[in-house]
Amino acid sequence: MAAAPGRGGIHRDGRAAYLFLAPALLFFCVFLVLPFLFAVVLAFSDWGGFDLGTIEFAGVSNFADVLRFDGSFVRPILVNTLLFAVGSVTLATFGSVLVAYCIDRLSFQGFWRVLYFLPVVATVVAIGNVWKMMYQPAGLINGVLNKLGVNSIGFLSDSSYALPAVTVVHAWASIGGAVLILTAGLKAIPEMYYEAAEVDGANSWRMFWQITLPLLRPSLLFVLITQFIGGLQSFALIIVMTTDGGPVNSTNVAAFEMYQQAFKFGAWGTASAMAMVLFVIILAITLLQLWIARRRGEETS
Amino acid sequence: MRRRRGGFPWFAYLVVILGAVAMVMPFLDMVMSSFKGAGEYGVIPYRLLPESFGLDNYRAAFEQLELVRLFRNSVIVTVSVTVSVLITSSLAGYALAKLRFRGRAVIFRFILATMMLPPFLLLIPTFLIMLNWPLAGGNDLLGRGGDGGLTTSLVALILPFTVSGFGIFLMRQFMVSLPDEMLEAARIDGANQWQTWRLIVLPQTKPVAITLGLITFIGTWNEYIWTLLISSSSPELQTLPVGIQLLQSFLDPDRTMPIVMAGLVISTLPVLAVFLAFQKYYVRGVVLSGLK
Repeated sequence: MAAAPGRGGIHRDGRAAYLFLAPALLFFCVFLVLPFLFAVVLAFSDWGGFDLGTIEFAGVSNFADVLRFDGSFVRPILVNTLLFAVGSVTLATFGSVLVAYCIDRLSFQGFWRVLYFLPVVATVVAIGNVWKMMYQPAGLINGVLNKLGVNSIGFLSDSSYALPAVTVVHAWASIGGAVLILTAGLKAIPEMYYEAAEVDGANSWRMFWQITLPLLRPSLLFVLITQFIGGLQSFALIIVMTTDGGPVNSTNVAAFEMYQQAFKFGAWGTASAMAMVLFVIILAITLLQLWIARRRGEETS
Repeated sequence: MRRRRGGFPWFAYLVVILGAVAMVMPFLDMVMSSFKGAGEYGVIPYRLLPESFGLDNYRAAFEQLELVRLFRNSVIVTVSVTVSVLITSSLAGYALAKLRFRGRAVIFRFILATMMLPPFLLLIPTFLIMLNWPLAGGNDLLGRGGDGGLTTSLVALILPFTVSGFGIFLMRQFMVSLPDEMLEAARIDGANQWQTWRLIVLPQTKPVAITLGLITFIGTWNEYIWTLLISSSSPELQTLPVGIQLLQSFLDPDRTMPIVMAGLVISTLPVLAVFLAFQKYYVRGVVLSGLK
């Protein structure tokens, strides 16, 4: 499979290979390994300034502060993070299964998929601002509600509506990517299963539940887990739509709180501990995903 | 040629069209609002269509948002990142796919693992590293004493994105399938590895390079958090998304929202054009990343 070594053999190949890999490896050392180690050190230290000489070891006190149950991080921020991720992944997965299944039965499939893909291509600033505009009392959504005889809702100003409101936007923006991956999964289901079911007189509802859904499970699982991880760590939409995670912290999520602690208050230690807590949660989910994939014999080659 | 089960799938059409309206409506609202004149925006009851299609907001966007400066920064950063990701991914991908050397498996696994580190975790330390970069922005050899290190130049927006683990993975997967005979023939003709890569491998990678280039281009053009952070003390480094967002947060929304929308239309158009022209390749990249 690999190139047969010519004269000079492995030695010559090896030197060229290391030279070709050098830019990438050097980069990963400076921008991944070093920052990762630095992040671990910061999480266990007490430091407020910019002079590395004043950094002090603080043991697990940052973690103790962050994970205290009566502190402000676990509730509402960690809870918000989970609600945001679970809410958007549920909406996006449900929506994308429905849409991918329906598109698969229509003509001009490429055209439909491009429409659903538009939000994936747009910047978060465009998405966030347009929806912010649509959520205003004088915006499109309240306009429609008023026509239907419903009073205007302060989607982003009422603390009980704000988190669901941004969750919907995040789900809306991620449906297109999920539709694509599910479409690839749908295309991989052999046509003959449906033909056999048709001969047996099954209707399309039964075919969906007994053929499509079970055979779609690997793609579905991939979409669920990657979207959930994406939801746990995203906060750009929250900055754009709410500026400060308000009203009264109702839309504040862990990654955003980390950002604020670090760059607004200069609390590197606390912020890094928050990042670590979130990272461990995401790592656990990633390992779960790898474990499920391996059990199914779908390991990367 | 797709399966047709029982007559006209009216239910499927209904779902897909309703969903498509929900997908497109916000963008339509964005474009329509960008034409609304003074006193037309923020009025109850809501109206989608503007009274006339004047270009005042676009003119104002160019003046108040300094769109030319933002555009230039966006182009410099996006082109630099895309070109360097393509080069570094192609070099590393070739080594991992076609060259035999000690540690190949370990390095490949390491590169796969880099994709698992979430960006938010690296945000704080990377910022501090850029700030204390030795011999930059007045820093001494130990990275001290200066004012801002690398964070005061566009380099700060480019350097942390010049290599992509996903890009290396994508290139490697593609190059594995290139026939070995072709590479051997080059070597028999006396080409060294560099020449083989440059003259034989690189021209063959066009399809995957377009995919990777597009994903990188769109991702970089739309990048927000890191640029927001770096440009918070150096406004001259703002790119389109950051510049537009910061302006809208300073001013009275009812007056400026249509101007912001005009800016957003302008900032969305390049990426939309690139996507529509090459969407086949972009779609393939997303599916490939889903099947890894």
